[in-house]
Amino acid sequence: MHPTNPTAHTDARSPAIVAHGIRKHYGHVEALRGASLSVGLGEIVALVGDNGAGKSTLMKVMCGAVAPDAGEVVLGGGLRVEAGRFNAADAGVGVVYQDLALAPHLSVLENIYLGHESLMPGRPRWLGLLDRRAMAGEAEAALRRLGIALPTVEVPVSLLSGGQRQAVAIARAVKWARSVVLLDEPTASLGTRQADIVVELIRNVARQGLGVLLISHDMDRLKRVADRIVVMRRGAVAAEFPAASVTLAQIVEAMLGGVSTVGAAA
Amino acid sequence: MSQPRPLALTEDDREDSLALPSNWRPRRAGAALSVFAVDAVAVLIFSALSGFVFLSPQSLSNIALDSSESVLLCIGVAFLLGAGELDISIGANVILSSVVGGKTMGAFESPLAASLAGAVVCVLCGAAVGACNALIVTRLRVTSFIATLASLGIVTGVAYVITNGYNIADVPLELQSDFGVAKLADVVPYPALIALAVAVGASFLLNRTRFGLQTLALGSSREAAVRAGVRVRAKLTTLFVLAGGCAGLSGFIDLGRYASTNISGHQTDALAAIAGAVIGGTNLFGGRISVWGAVFGALLAVILQDGLVVVGLAAFYQLIAVGIVLIIAVSLREFAGSGDDPTPLSGRLMNLLRGGAA
Ligand SMILES: Nc1ncnc2c1ncn2[C@@H]1O[C@H](COP(=O)(O)OP(=O)(O)OP(=O)(O)O)[C@@H](O)[C@H]1O
Ligand SMILES: [Mg+2]
Repeated sequence: MHPTNPTAHTDARSPAIVAHGIRKHYGHVEALRGASLSVGLGEIVALVGDNGAGKSTLMKVMCGAVAPDAGEVVLGGGLRVEAGRFNAADAGVGVVYQDLALAPHLSVLENIYLGHESLMPGRPRWLGLLDRRAMAGEAEAALRRLGIALPTVEVPVSLLSGGQRQAVAIARAVKWARSVVLLDEPTASLGTRQADIVVELIRNVARQGLGVLLISHDMDRLKRVADRIVVMRRGAVAAEFPAASVTLAQIVEAMLGGVSTVGAAA
Repeated sequence: MSQPRPLALTEDDREDSLALPSNWRPRRAGAALSVFAVDAVAVLIFSALSGFVFLSPQSLSNIALDSSESVLLCIGVAFLLGAGELDISIGANVILSSVVGGKTMGAFESPLAASLAGAVVCVLCGAAVGACNALIVTRLRVTSFIATLASLGIVTGVAYVITNGYNIADVPLELQSDFGVAKLADVVPYPALIALAVAVGASFLLNRTRFGLQTLALGSSREAAVRAGVRVRAKLTTLFVLAGGCAGLSGFIDLGRYASTNISGHQTDALAAIAGAVIGGTNLFGGRISVWGAVFGALLAVILQDGLVVVGLAAFYQLIAVGIVLIIAVSLREFAGSGDDPTPLSGRLMNLLRGGAA
């Protein structure tokens, strides 16, 4: 019924990131069993699947946060993603982790710049003197571009609401992204309006020519924003569909592995 | 790129409003200031009880001298705590550094050469012990508490083996008369100047440099720091080496003050340093460091010690007093706000006094 050929995507876009044959197990749990996925430049790919299907694990492998047991990830420019010696932001890969990976005691500004601090011009680099004013200006600008207005970027992240934290994580990812943005449930704790803003932002990012991989359980928004919907089941890609023509029922069926839930889903 | 609408600043998005908690202020000197205030009050009380003997320049200068070593240790420990690590071997490190430094001094004829060589060797020895701790933590993956608990024993043992259990007195007396007990302009003890210089440097490092920021990140969320590309091993190694260097410097001051090692002392130095740092507002579990808080926290212990003596109580009461202060300080922070709340203690005290839950 549904297309189950993951490599059949005949888009002319050049790839921003390609993951091939990724395997990963944790103890006895096979989180990934040969998952392959590619995201083209300027393309928005939605990654869906049941809880525990392996979406987050695949994303972490793709940004170098987790080392796979087998398989490889290559960026558009030919750079191989190797956990341990690869820093996503350095390579132009922006990431929003499911757990956000923010340091609660540090300010919004410090979190956005951590690991990529701006240093005082004209001073020896080894001193590592922070140019806080320049960073504050740019962090504010980055947040404003996302339509996020915080009264100050000096506030510690621990004092922000869940939605605000998510906004900071997104701002950070977009700030360092040059070729790909990977977002793991970026709208999970956002209200309707904020989620719509994030969707609009993701469109803007793709319009600028970056590839976007978006993990979410929010099917309605996914269908609106994505070019392609990739369905994972039990550690592998089960199906993929062009977002424009697929129905919710088809996606759910692919997620659950052929068990017909058309009646329940409709 | 089209501009999206601003996020939630209207009335109907109240639960996700971007307004900040009303008692939030940019974090700065808050914790340090409140400990300084406690220090000042303690000095005034002891002065009043002692007919103002305690407020004399002589007595204040003694406090500065007596606290110079613990200030150094508190600062070194504060940085480690802020990064989510611990070093309970620094007291032992003080002993070993002074032993190795003292042995070195014995090999020189000229007092000046002996003193300079001794200073360098003390600091290097302290730093080397710190580097060993770092290796155990970063390479052997032993948590810092266990790693430094082990090195506490090893380092003390090595110091005893070197000296056979006897103190080393090969220290040039000039080091004592011209440095250890000498005072700049007859007021400021030289060891206190060293501690002050280290505090200024540490404060600069913490607040103005990438190193300071990444140190806090390591303690706030190790995972976040790793993903942001912070080089964890290198940073931790530097931190342990710096704390060890502080212990070494402290060992040198020890030699200068007493013209001898003190191998049976320093048993409680490491725990006292942790207490001082935590009283000063450094978070025991990382993410927050107050350098000046550590300085004033170290001073508080000395003020209590010297003050109790001046008013005629046995110095033993100081141990009790510091313990009580530690409990009160930490408890106040927990009550007045969560331990993670970076609102300065002074602000939360005010909130408590006003009767509002912070
Ligand atoms: N660090 C880990 N240690 C052990 N098992 C893990 C770890 N991370 C993931 N797993 C396991 O791997 C499988 C896939 O997890 P993953 O987080 O990738 O799923 P997911 O598709 O992102 O799910 P969700 O929609 O709930 O976020 C799960 O069975 C999970 O228990
Ligand atoms: Mg997940």
